[in-house]
Amino acid sequence: MTRPDAPVPESADEAAAAAPGVALVRWLSWLVPSTRRAEWTAEWEGELCHAWRQRQRTADDTTFARAALAFRALGALRDALWLRRHHGAHDMLDLDLKYAVRGLRRRPGFTAVVVLTLALGIGATTAIFSVVNGVLLRPLPFPEPDRLVYLRGHPIDGDVAKVGTAQSYLDYLDIRARARSFSSLAAVRGGTQTLTLPGSEPALVSEAVATSNLFPTLGVAPALGRGFVPDDERPGSPAVAVLSDALWRDRFGGDLAVLGRSIRLDGEPVTVVGVLPPAFGYRRSAQLWRPLVPTRIDMERGTHQYAVIGRLAAGVSLEQAASEARAIARGLELQYPADNAKRGARLEPMRDVLVQDARPALLVLFGAVALVLLIGCANLASLFLARAAAREREVAVRAALGAGRGRLLRQFLTESLLLTLIGGAAGLGVAWGGMRALLALAPRTIPRADEVALDLPVLAFLLGASVLTGIAFGVLPALQLRRGAASVASLKDGARGATAGVARRRLRHGLVVGEVALATVLVVGAALLLKSFWLTQRVDPGFAPDGLLVAQLELPSTRYDAPAKVVRFYDRLRGELEGVRGVQSVAVAYEHPLGEGWTSSFTIEGRDRPPVGLEPEARVRPVQPGYFKTVGVPLLRGRDVTERDRAGGAGAVLINEAFARVHFPNEDPIGRRIDRGTWFEGMPASYEIVGIVADEPFLGLGRAADPALYFPHPQFPMSAMWIIVRSASADPRALAEAVRERVWRLDPELPLDEAKTMREVLGSSVAEPRFNAALLSLFAGAALLLAAVGTYGVLSYTVLQRTSEIGVRMALGAPRGRVLRLVVGEGVGVAMLGVALGTATAFAFARVLSSLLQGVDERDPVVFGGVAGLLTLVVVAAAYLPARRASRIEPVVALRYE
Amino acid sequence: MHAIARGMRHGFDILDATGLQSGTVYPILRRLEDAGLLRSRWEAVERARAEGRPPRRYYELTGAGAMALQEALARHPEVLDAFAAPGSVPQPRPA
Repeated sequence: MTRPDAPVPESADEAAAAAPGVALVRWLSWLVPSTRRAEWTAEWEGELCHAWRQRQRTADDTTFARAALAFRALGALRDALWLRRHHGAHDMLDLDLKYAVRGLRRRPGFTAVVVLTLALGIGATTAIFSVVNGVLLRPLPFPEPDRLVYLRGHPIDGDVAKVGTAQSYLDYLDIRARARSFSSLAAVRGGTQTLTLPGSEPALVSEAVATSNLFPTLGVAPALGRGFVPDDERPGSPAVAVLSDALWRDRFGGDLAVLGRSIRLDGEPVTVVGVLPPAFGYRRSAQLWRPLVPTRIDMERGTHQYAVIGRLAAGVSLEQAASEARAIARGLELQYPADNAKRGARLEPMRDVLVQDARPALLVLFGAVALVLLIGCANLASLFLARAAAREREVAVRAALGAGRGRLLRQFLTESLLLTLIGGAAGLGVAWGGMRALLALAPRTIPRADEVALDLPVLAFLLGASVLTGIAFGVLPALQLRRGAASVASLKDGARGATAGVARRRLRHGLVVGEVALATVLVVGAALLLKSFWLTQRVDPGFAPDGLLVAQLELPSTRYDAPAKVVRFYDRLRGELEGVRGVQSVAVAYEHPLGEGWTSSFTIEGRDRPPVGLEPEARVRPVQPGYFKTVGVPLLRGRDVTERDRAGGAGAVLINEAFARVHFPNEDPIGRRIDRGTWFEGMPASYEIVGIVADEPFLGLGRAADPALYFPHPQFPMSAMWIIVRSASADPRALAEAVRERVWRLDPELPLDEAKTMREVLGSSVAEPRFNAALLSLFAGAALLLAAVGTYGVLSYTVLQRTSEIGVRMALGAPRGRVLRLVVGEGVGVAMLGVALGTATAFAFARVLSSLLQGVDERDPVVFGGVAGLLTLVVVAAAYLPARRASRIEPVVALRYE
Repeated sequence: MHAIARGMRHGFDILDATGLQSGTVYPILRRLEDAGLLRSRWEAVERARAEGRPPRRYYELTGAGAMALQEALARHPEVLDAFAAPGSVPQPRPA
């Protein structure tokens, strides 16, 4: 058989490229054993080109002719596979694979341990990555999501208490009129409405109120009906609403006839004009959407209640748009100094804003699980090293028979990659289960949780992680082998001592040091979170949460349109509830002790008036008489709010300790007066401080409270209030039904959310730290276990290798205790180095955790010291077993040991 | 083999003559070549160049192949009939 020795003519090459099927053949040629590949490709190309020429000559250059030839080329697949099967017996990849499979089947225990470790490691990492991907990485479900931004308020002097991120409606209008960098700018705020449907209880639903261009800005159209049109924003135009998919299904049974139907919101008729698609990915908590019809309060430039989102115009960068927004904000500040002092503007990509709260915890968890995988890899590398040592002779024989270094390296990599791919495949199951478990257990606060899925990027990650893992623990032993295989000396060397053996032992020790170090980092992290969580659980909440039942009420402004009506309703309700059997006391308050509420500015009378826009801020918490007694917040000085603090009377206010500390450090605040302007018509503008109460944990358990002002409710008649009932019995839940019944006795159209016990509120307020601490502890536990197993494995192997040496020592009279110390000492040395390295690393990176910690310094010496001690103890314990085995070696047996 | 003996010496010509699929014919050619019944050669490069295409490979019977073919035809004379059908055999082309 001869091959064409003359070069192929240029024109022939072009012809080959043009003929149908040639590309396929070239692609398939990779299946053909390399020794036959060139010849095989040339044959197929020759035939295809010739046939194509013939067709062209007969002017049969039709699609049909092309298809026929391409179809004929498909036969190349069978031909290539046949050649592979019959001539590829010496193909190296096949051989490597076959050899690897045989080797793994011969050691089922080894294979199972490796695959299981990998499946858990890769699976857990992938599970966390699926969440990271869905929440942090995946683009938002809108067209050109990178062009969507938030335009937020920004304090020029950094005082976030003065200038928040929300915008006023008037500022929004001005910005929209002046800005050129956005193709559209929309404003949106949240709220609640009472939805009344015939035949069902009134329900409190969360709504979003948005300008008519919001849906077009996002690039989303309703699935049914229409969105909003500018006319919907005009005061006096017919009220309309767009339903979320969830509300449409839950409350309207997915009825297509819902369009045009009139529903009652806060007692007013509203026409349903559209239903959003199920995958609508913005403000998912909003159950219905209404157009923004400006109200009186929207005409106050100082009332900031809107989020402004925009879509960058084509060709405008974030930075360009941001500088324009800053310039406009500066203009507004000059134009309206009273309301816009120090009010700057800044742009943030929409995705960053939506996920910013979840980011630190997710990244920490992802880092932690990746470390566990790395520790697992170190263990496996160690296992592979031991196995490689056991196979040293075999390898030396193969090297002596002519196997090159590259060949051996490839053989070992094939083995480790095969293992990790099997592990990765099993990890897929773990990842799926892990992801489901994570989403089920994770606190509700994780944004975009419904977008988490095992999709292509996640699967690519899994594959990438598997391959990298395979290389990570396959290369080290393979490199060692190269050294061992290079010399035929190891053939003669026998089992006793060789330079390669020493190097390998050092490497294995290095791996254990690394494992212990990484485990230390993880355990320190988990311990810090646990301590923080434990402290917040143990901290005195500052009130008496047991026996309290809470429920929120919101009076619709349509029927409760005057402060007097609001006050009268709550007064009567309090009276009704106090008459319920089993109720010890009742409170009505704008917030319960764990509710953050909102802040407002005020001035202290008799002091220099601060410049406009720089007035201090305090939390505003209107309460009815009996609030402090009911929730168990001690009155420290002065008097409580009483029934005499009525709407027309002299203004009275209570302050908390934080207020006294901040604003009256060296004075007695009682008797001083607060001016906070007139919020409600006919209400006092000036309030005398009549009492001081202890701080409530409204910013979270264990966090210091802000200054707060407690106004008598009649003098500050908010319409959305919490009802707080203290039960005489241990289980306040038993009162829930009676509370509902009394509310509806007064007003059957009021919605009442399910009442919760204060313990439940407390529990959900710590759900997130509890979840983070639990997950990180799980990872730390796994890391600790892996490090212990790693140490045990390495020392066991050392003992095995040194059996003869230990036998000699004992034959020469070394006592068992000394042998024990010898081996344990080796373990302790490794542990010390690992713990020291790990502690230093954890110390250096402790700042990463700081945003998740509360009440604990991220470099807490007790935690660091305790963890170092624990790790040392674990490693020594892991070293003890092999050490004991060594000390029980019978010298006679050991000396014969080969 | 009979097709080759009758002058259809290139892979695709054999496909045309026998009406078999390429995925069937090529493995048979490989098998016969392995068994020493066929041998393959490449056509002259100049000729291919003249036609502006890469050279083709052609197959021919070895002595053993010719003998095996004779034996097979003696056992299965119907093969001859199949090829005898008018119009089913393209004109042989010199290599």
